[in-house]
Amino acid sequence: MDVKRLARLGVLTAVALIIFIVELQIPNPFPIPGIKLGLANIITVYAVYRFRPVEVCMLVGVRIFLGAVFSGNMMALLYSACGSLLCLLGMLLLKRVIDEKHLWLASVFGALLHNTGQMAAALLVMQTPSLLLYYPFLVVSGCLAGLFTGLCAQLILPRLKKAGF
Amino acid sequence: MKTKLLIIIAAAIFILGIGGSLLVLLLPKKQAVQIKHGAEVLYTFDLTQEPDRTFEIKTDDGTNIIEIKDGKIRVSEADCPDKTCVRMGWLNSAAMPVVCLPHHLVIEFADGGEDGVDAVAE
Repeated sequence: MDVKRLARLGVLTAVALIIFIVELQIPNPFPIPGIKLGLANIITVYAVYRFRPVEVCMLVGVRIFLGAVFSGNMMALLYSACGSLLCLLGMLLLKRVIDEKHLWLASVFGALLHNTGQMAAALLVMQTPSLLLYYPFLVVSGCLAGLFTGLCAQLILPRLKKAGF
Repeated sequence: MKTKLLIIIAAAIFILGIGGSLLVLLLPKKQAVQIKHGAEVLYTFDLTQEPDRTFEIKTDDGTNIIEIKDGKIRVSEADCPDKTCVRMGWLNSAAMPVVCLPHHLVIEFADGGEDGVDAVAE
């Protein structure tokens, strides 16, 4: 991997972290565990369509770990790691089927997979099947949040291309 | 072509999600309440018979203060980093167990208990 590519990945990771930290400061109107907008995933979705799978995994891995360190919520690391793993796997596969014009769709599926991974982790850790009752709410919020972040990424994609990034 | 199919799948999942949410919200309320730490049940209450009080649950993961008032239960304070459990407020639906993910704590409606609904039915 050349230096320029590495630097770009570094900048993207930093931007994703900043977005993540800023979003933490915005009070969540839906106090349900697992429901959030996930604005930092704009960067993830963008990276999936612009970088190699290994590079995307590195970016997301570093972002999740540092995000947990900065927010002081190490327990959340387990949930977000499981969610992201599933989400990344799914999106890297979907990328082959869904073209850039339908990036938002890949993002919706990514968000759904993320919520599914989180739910699986929570079920394993808490051993409480009634947590599954949250799942429909996570599905609805995941669709909406994924659509929003996906559309954001879609707006950013041609602009960064023009800027030569 | 494939994209259209995927859009339809996504829309179907979304609609199923909304339907599921409504269904879950309509679940009947139960009387018995359980407080669990992981898989281990710490307390079982019949909320209609519990006096108003506040108490502390201390585990290896951290501390939550539980408040029972007028037959309702909530987490009033916690030392977890996200405080989602506190902001969830009173436990008011079978659909929404009050959860503190960082502390592995769950407050939920449950079937029976020692002198709960099941015992009466028998």
